[in-house]
Amino acid sequence: MKLTINNLTKTYGNKVKALDNINLKIGKGMFGLLGPNGAGKSTLMRTIATLQSPDSGEINFNEIDVLKDQLSLRKILGYLPQSFGVYPKMSAEELLNYFALLKGISVKKEREELVNELLDITNLQDVKKKNVDGYSGGMKQRFGIAQLLLNDPKLIIVDEPTAGLDPAERQRFLNVLREVGTNCTVIFSTHIVDDVKELCNDMAILNGGRILKHIKPVEATAEIKNQIWTKVVKREELDEAEVNFNILSSNYNIDNTLTIRVHSEKKPAAGFKKTEPQLDDVYFIALKEDQ
Amino acid sequence: MFFTIFLNEIKYWFGRPALYIYILIFLFIGLMMSGASAGLFDFLTVTTGSSKIVNSPLGITGLFGGLTGLIIFLYPSIIGVAVYRDYKSEMHTILYSYPFTKAEYLFAKFFSGIFIVNIIVLITGLGIALGFVLPGTNPDIVTAFDIRSYLDIYLIYILPNMLFMGAIVFGIVTFTRNISAGFITVLILLICQGFLANLFDDPERRFIAAILDPFGDSSIYYYTRYWTVSEQNELYLPIKGVVIYNRLIWGAVGIVLFTTIYKLFRFSQNAFTINFNKKDSKRTTKSNFGGIVKINLPKINLNFSLKNELKSLWKLSNIDFLFIVKSWPFISIVLVGLLINLIGLFELGNIFGTSTLPRTWRMLQAGSSFTLAINICTFLYAGILIHRSRISNINQLIDTTPIPNWVLLGSKFLAILKMQLVLLSLIMITGLLFQTYQGFYDYEIGHYIYELLVLNLLYFIIWAFLAFLVQTLISNPYVGLFVMIVLLIGIPLTQLAGIEQSIFKYNQGPGFSYSDMNGYGARLGPYFIYNFYWLCLGIIFYILTALFYIRGLPKNFREKLIIAKSRFNGKYPFFISIFTIIFISIGGYIYYTNNILNDRTSSKEREIETVEWEKKYKKYENYNQPRIVSVNVDVNIFPDSRDVNASGEYTMINKTTEAIDSIFLDHNSALSTFKFDKENSLVSEDTLYNFDIYKLKKPLFTGDTLKLSFTVKNKPNTLLRNNSNVIYNGTFLNSSLFPILGYSGGELTDDKTREKYDLPPNKLKPHPSDSTALGNTYIAKDADWIDFEATVSTSKDQIAIAPGYLQKEWIEGDRRYFHYKMDSKILNFYAFNSAKYEVVQDKWNDVNLEIYYHKDHDYNLDRMMKGMKAALEYCSTNFSPYQHRQLRIIEFPRTSGGFAQSFPNTVPFSEDIGFIADVDDSEEGGNDYAFFITVHEVAHQWWAHQVIGADVLGATVLSESLSEYVTLKVIEKVNGKKKMRKFLKRSLDEYLTSRTFESKRENALMYNDGQGYIRYQKGSLIFYALSDYIGEKKLNKALKKYVNKVAFQEPPYTTTIDLVNHVKEVTPDSLNYLIKDMFETITLYQNKIVSTESKKLENGKYQVDIEFKVSKYRNDEKGKIFYGNEERDSISFKTEEMKKPEYSVFLSDYVDVGIFGEEDDKETELYLKKHKISSINNKVSIIVDKEPIEVGIDPYNKLIDTNSEDNRKKINQEIL
Repeated sequence: MKLTINNLTKTYGNKVKALDNINLKIGKGMFGLLGPNGAGKSTLMRTIATLQSPDSGEINFNEIDVLKDQLSLRKILGYLPQSFGVYPKMSAEELLNYFALLKGISVKKEREELVNELLDITNLQDVKKKNVDGYSGGMKQRFGIAQLLLNDPKLIIVDEPTAGLDPAERQRFLNVLREVGTNCTVIFSTHIVDDVKELCNDMAILNGGRILKHIKPVEATAEIKNQIWTKVVKREELDEAEVNFNILSSNYNIDNTLTIRVHSEKKPAAGFKKTEPQLDDVYFIALKEDQ
Repeated sequence: MFFTIFLNEIKYWFGRPALYIYILIFLFIGLMMSGASAGLFDFLTVTTGSSKIVNSPLGITGLFGGLTGLIIFLYPSIIGVAVYRDYKSEMHTILYSYPFTKAEYLFAKFFSGIFIVNIIVLITGLGIALGFVLPGTNPDIVTAFDIRSYLDIYLIYILPNMLFMGAIVFGIVTFTRNISAGFITVLILLICQGFLANLFDDPERRFIAAILDPFGDSSIYYYTRYWTVSEQNELYLPIKGVVIYNRLIWGAVGIVLFTTIYKLFRFSQNAFTINFNKKDSKRTTKSNFGGIVKINLPKINLNFSLKNELKSLWKLSNIDFLFIVKSWPFISIVLVGLLINLIGLFELGNIFGTSTLPRTWRMLQAGSSFTLAINICTFLYAGILIHRSRISNINQLIDTTPIPNWVLLGSKFLAILKMQLVLLSLIMITGLLFQTYQGFYDYEIGHYIYELLVLNLLYFIIWAFLAFLVQTLISNPYVGLFVMIVLLIGIPLTQLAGIEQSIFKYNQGPGFSYSDMNGYGARLGPYFIYNFYWLCLGIIFYILTALFYIRGLPKNFREKLIIAKSRFNGKYPFFISIFTIIFISIGGYIYYTNNILNDRTSSKEREIETVEWEKKYKKYENYNQPRIVSVNVDVNIFPDSRDVNASGEYTMINKTTEAIDSIFLDHNSALSTFKFDKENSLVSEDTLYNFDIYKLKKPLFTGDTLKLSFTVKNKPNTLLRNNSNVIYNGTFLNSSLFPILGYSGGELTDDKTREKYDLPPNKLKPHPSDSTALGNTYIAKDADWIDFEATVSTSKDQIAIAPGYLQKEWIEGDRRYFHYKMDSKILNFYAFNSAKYEVVQDKWNDVNLEIYYHKDHDYNLDRMMKGMKAALEYCSTNFSPYQHRQLRIIEFPRTSGGFAQSFPNTVPFSEDIGFIADVDDSEEGGNDYAFFITVHEVAHQWWAHQVIGADVLGATVLSESLSEYVTLKVIEKVNGKKKMRKFLKRSLDEYLTSRTFESKRENALMYNDGQGYIRYQKGSLIFYALSDYIGEKKLNKALKKYVNKVAFQEPPYTTTIDLVNHVKEVTPDSLNYLIKDMFETITLYQNKIVSTESKKLENGKYQVDIEFKVSKYRNDEKGKIFYGNEERDSISFKTEEMKKPEYSVFLSDYVDVGIFGEEDDKETELYLKKHKISSINNKVSIIVDKEPIEVGIDPYNKLIDTNSEDNRKKINQEIL
């Protein structure tokens, strides 16, 4: 099970290079696509999901040439876009049946059984007769997961699914995703580093349409072990520190001081303490290096 | 803040391509419409000649009226959408927290929309104004630009309507957050207007319509209804009375509406909803924390076989179909459509207040009012289905499912098809319900299903194909709808620009029509061919739709094009080429048949041919020709193959005093042979005009006889063309089958057009005082009175009929023969009928009466019999004996025309003007037209077949006006005088309305050019009034004397001068003014009750005081008013309060003054007497015995009066 992307390029009409010669190989398991807003994540995911065509490049999933034989990919694809709407005045049950029909589940009994099971899994059983357009963000996202699972997909693409969810919903969503993601390829874009940390066995950092880093999360933190330092500074000292050190992040403390995290192979200066590297650091380092 | 929002909106619109598309469309339509009306396309099509100025205030109103019908379809997407757009873009979440007031926001939104629409209107106006003066237009019918014409329309109509209707649409769209709702509102408003105009067409209800019409058209029309051509050309729009009321009322409604919107509007997140169960609302809490679920989905089979995909197609179409029928735009269209349909059912076939029996074809005819609703639903829902997923933002989910495009698109098409089927079935259901309601149980379900679900459905499918393509290419369904409406209206209008062949106009072609007698006849063949032709193009459109169908998120048109290109493989090229080949082949076949195999002449070419014909052959007009004295023909009718062949012999005599050397034969284009019994040579043969000249070797001297033998045969019928008038059942052929002698006229009449072709001005017909012009009757130029004999054959199961008496009937093989012979002289005017007839017989004195009818049509036979007897009785008593021993009425299909025509002892009579009338004999019931049309036609046996006028001006008075006079008198005998008012008022209204459409000239009755509204309506009114003034007996005595003098006369033939002289003889001097008013001039009264009061006298009687006005004026031939030839011929009246005096032609007139009471809820006549009137303003005081209720001046509308409504007035009771 392997998704291969070769030299994928896409330029929009306003001369924005959304994808700039992307090459990726993604295997089984959860793959996190990390990047800031506007990095090209959605473009890449939509392109894989057959919604957009690139200017050039190739995408293959197992034996399927995705760009040429879109229908074959759609048969094994589960896709959840960043935001989606639903037809008004249709209940979750009706809509899921509708999608089941679209996904080629022809036997009525099977359809009903499956829909019922999915409603259970996504905990929508109680509200299955309610119109989906009245759902809260979390419920709607769960509905999104349910429709995605209808065709037992081999390739699952979810675009920033946890944005806007409350902690409980987020956790629940990630659990379900994890559960289904064991036997297929899941591509999962986010700008929340924690999502990736908790779930993914592989990841890439994307910015400006380019893959900045493609690495396993575990290896990524291992790579910068002993290179992350912190120090508490006063607000007035920050400007000077920014000039002198490679600051990855700075956070306010309650007493109006700042804790800065610095990337350096050696101890940058007195007062710095060594700390355990986190995935955030990998992310920030990658973005910084790209500037 | 107002201006910030306002300007922002305006800026938004100016950045939208849609605005420029609208502007271009309307500029173009404006230019083309005014251009076409001013003769811009004269080089392509017929010359636009008329005495009407096209850019008169009323002319511009008409053009604008048509365009505003289109412009209001922009309201939903321009005015309506202003607030909705903020919701849709979710801008409202931010905007509504800003510090501006509700008023600023709403007004800015509303008026910015109004502003944009105004720009489009302004440009449309510009287009119209420019169109009139485009090079190539006819300067004779365009007058100088007058800004007031435009401003009046803008200020009275357009701006108030825009504000009022804009407010409605704005409110509806804002609250429902649904643009479709706005469209439906507009549609319903439009339908209601048409409906109101129809419902209140009755003269007595016009005032209501004028007040209620939301568009204001009816209020203007209330005043301009009877405007003559000259008034139409010269007057500005009337801004007075009911126009002002109407505008004030609807202005007020608009303000109330906007205030309501203002009150109801909240800056809130949610749409305006009505919630019935607020009480049941619950507090909801979350309970789904954390938890790991085991996912163990059942194993399912994904099936992508063709069979399964077809199954999905069906199921998906059901989902879309349910979505349509549950959506309330659909429901409201259907409800309104049904309402209109039902009312249409009640109104349709209403002739003279009497309805027609609800035969199935009538139900289907009424159902055609549903056509627009079905088309709009198709256009709208095609767009909504195609773009629904994108609008709902669910498209990313749907587009990544493995459903093939063809299934997805196909399911939408199928859903539209199902919707059409349901709508069409509704027509059947309402029809059946209506028939049941009317107690009419001859259900013809098969007929319903065949016409609706086969014939009609084809038409709608073809539109659906185009709608799918347009809606796919245009990403906004409402712009798509608008484009489709423009196409729907615009495609047939290309006729005006000279595109006349249906094969170049999408979904155009020959129609079909049904009659009980002949079914659909032979018209279905061409109908199916054309529909198949368009179906092929439709399928090509559908394939293109599939190529351009949007799946995924293409960014621009270039990308769509690339996708379409990449899809164009596999079966696509194959199918496209197959259907293109079929399409072009059928088109080619039709084109070849119509243009190469046969001569197809465009109307322009026909115009030029008419000119050539006149230039070439008019010189022979007065060339001496022999007269036909006897006709003997054999006509063989073949109903099954719809062929006819005939042979015959004319016997002709030189009745002139000079020798005749050449014969001019004018024949039709059928296959003919001609043979004279005297030696001759064919010196000129014209295959275009079918006008041949034979030179006789020895001239034909005075009194000599010449015989012509001929055969005629129609060219074979083909799939597309019928070359004979024979039909399966109900053939009606006339003498145009056979040749005529000499030049037969048929010239262009418009002098301006004639000038263009270097033709001298046309005198139309000679004046009756021209004694050299009285040689021919107006029926035939080549015969006086003839002997007639005919043998007609037809298929075994049909009866064939010709004038004359049946001599012999026999069967030979599978043919049935009838030999008819007339034993007295008749005009050269005869017909042949053949059908499967039933016959009913009766007798009047020694005359055999027969009605030949279609087997189901036995509803009114006794009424028609009664009509024949009544007319025979009246005419033979009052004028002269009936010249035949037999009188026959013969039914023919409605598809061959809706008229009856009187031939010697034979009256072909259309099936739908009497045979299936549903006459209501009660007091309130309408007129029994089965009866009175029969009377009219039988009266022609005298007034046409005994007395026939010379071919000069006014000739039709002698046939039509007098037959109509007989009809009115017979009705008066049957119904009584009081019921005549309804009849007379209707005739008066028809006369006054029809004369406003006159394009050439209106002459006085005596010299009229033969227009229907003069010879029927005005003529009957005048003779009826005349009989009232000088007495029926006296008038009939004069007519009797006249008949005795001129019946069956040889040339010179009689004229109206002779008739009027006879009338004069019996007219007392005091009434001599009538002759001038009625016959010699166009004179119209303006009679009116000003006020009236009554009081009870001590002796129990009542004194009634009436103030009334009588005035009359004259019109010239263009409708210009004058009051006499010289100053002293007119009188005037003026009071202190009046700004201008009222004028009248000098009065010494006798006019009815009437007073009416009531008894048992019925009107009784208390007083009716002619008063001599010599001044405009009059007061009388009359004493009556019983309590008076109403008074009237000319209360029965015997006189021609431009406002028949103010002739009566209820009495103000003086309270004692």
